[in-house]
Amino acid sequence: MTDQTPDIGSLETEMNRGFLHILVLALLETEMYGYSMVKHIEGLGYRVEENTLYPLLRRLEKNGWITSKWDLTEDRPRKFYGVTAAGRALRASLLEVWRNQDRVLGSIVKEIPNV
Amino acid sequence: MSDKLEAYLEEISHFLSGRAEREEILSEIRSHIVEKAAEGPGEFTDAAIDRAIAAFGPARKVAERYVDDRPIIAPAYKRYLVRYTSLLFAFHAFLTVVAVVFKKDFVVFPLLYMPRLGVVDALMYLPAAFLADLGLVALVLYFVTQSGKDVKLPWPKFGVDLDEVKPPKKGFWTSRIPTAIGAVVMLAITDFALYLFARHGTIFFVNLDWRDPRPLFTPGAGRYISIIVIAGFAASTMALLVKLLTRSRWVDVVSNVISLGLIGLLLRQPVDGLFAVRIPERAMASIKYSVKFALLFIALMTAIELIKSLVIIGRRNLSDKMKSDV
Repeated sequence: MTDQTPDIGSLETEMNRGFLHILVLALLETEMYGYSMVKHIEGLGYRVEENTLYPLLRRLEKNGWITSKWDLTEDRPRKFYGVTAAGRALRASLLEVWRNQDRVLGSIVKEIPNV
Repeated sequence: MSDKLEAYLEEISHFLSGRAEREEILSEIRSHIVEKAAEGPGEFTDAAIDRAIAAFGPARKVAERYVDDRPIIAPAYKRYLVRYTSLLFAFHAFLTVVAVVFKKDFVVFPLLYMPRLGVVDALMYLPAAFLADLGLVALVLYFVTQSGKDVKLPWPKFGVDLDEVKPPKKGFWTSRIPTAIGAVVMLAITDFALYLFARHGTIFFVNLDWRDPRPLFTPGAGRYISIIVIAGFAASTMALLVKLLTRSRWVDVVSNVISLGLIGLLLRQPVDGLFAVRIPERAMASIKYSVKFALLFIALMTAIELIKSLVIIGRRNLSDKMKSDV
C-alpha cells in the first residue's frame, strides 16, 4: 500500500473527453453561450477548462450535432449554441453507453469489497 | 478594447495560420474573455482582462486545442519508419560500395542518383543518403496515414524482433562456454600477433619460414597496418572477456564502433607502395579494388550489426518501460 496520491492528470483528461460530450449535448437542450455554459457547469460543482470547451463546441458543430448563431442585440456579441436532432440522437447513444458502464462498475464495486 | 487582449488574440491567430475559421475562433475567444472580465464586483479593467486571459491559457496551448489530433504518421506505421529506412539505407550503402569499387555513377529511376565516388566521398555521402532515405520513407508513411486506409505494409524481419531475442535457457556458465572458447582463441591470436610484431615489426609475411621471414609490406606501412589489426584483435578479445560477465548489447555496440574506427584507419592507408614484394601492374589494380571492396563490405556488415544492436537495446528499453508502466 502507498499513501501517495497517484497523479491521474492524463487519465482524468481521457475520461473527461467522453463525459464532456454528453454534458455539453445535454446542457444545450437550452440555448446557451460559451461563458454561461462554463458558469452553469461550475454551479453544478464541476469545472471545465475554457480552452477545452470552445474547441469541443467547434467539433460538435462541424459534425452537425449542435448549431450556433451570434446574438448582436446586446452590448456584447454572444454566440449561442443549441443541440440539433442529430445531437439528441448521439446524446441518447452516449448516455446508453455511460449507463451501461456505470452499471458494470456498480456491479464490480458491489461484488469486490476492496474496490 | 484592451491592447493586451488584441495582442493575445494576435498571438493565437499566429498559431492558427492557414485555418479558414480563424476569425470565427478569435471572435469566440474575444467574446468569452470580455464576458468574463466584465463580470464580478470590479470594473471592466485591464487587470480583469489580464486575469481572464491568464485563465484561458497560453496562446499556443489554446491554438493547439483546435488542431486535429490526426498524427503525421499513424502509430501503427511508426515501427515501419525505422525498418524501411534501415532496408533502404542498406540498399543505398550497397550501391555506394559498388559506385566506389567500379568508379561509376548510375541512376535507379526515379529514386536514386548515385554519383561516382571516392572512398572519402562515400563516407561523406552516406550520412546525407541516410537522411534522404529517412525522409522518403517518412513521406510514404505520411501519405499512407493521410489516406485513412488500413494499408497492410509488409514487415521484413532481420532477427531483431523482441520475440526473436529470447534469453538463454541454459545455465549461466553453460551458455558462456562458446564465448569462453572464443575469448581463449582470440587471446592466443592476439598474443601471437604481439610476439611477431615485437620481434619483426610486422605481422604480415610472404613466407612461413620463421628463421628468415620476409615481410609482405614495406616497413612503415607494415607497422601501421599491424598495429591496427592487433588493436582489432585486442578489442575483440576484450569484448569476449567482458561478455563472460555481462550479456549487455552495449558491449557489441562499443566493439562495433571500435571496429568501424579501425577499418576507417585501414582505408586511409594508400595501396600504392604498400607491398615489399614485386607485384605485376595488372594484378596490382585488382588487389587495389579487392582490398577496398573487402574493407567497405566489412564496414557495411559491422554498421548493420551496430544498428541491429542499437535497435535491440531500444526495443528492450521500450519493452521494460511498458512493463514498468503496467
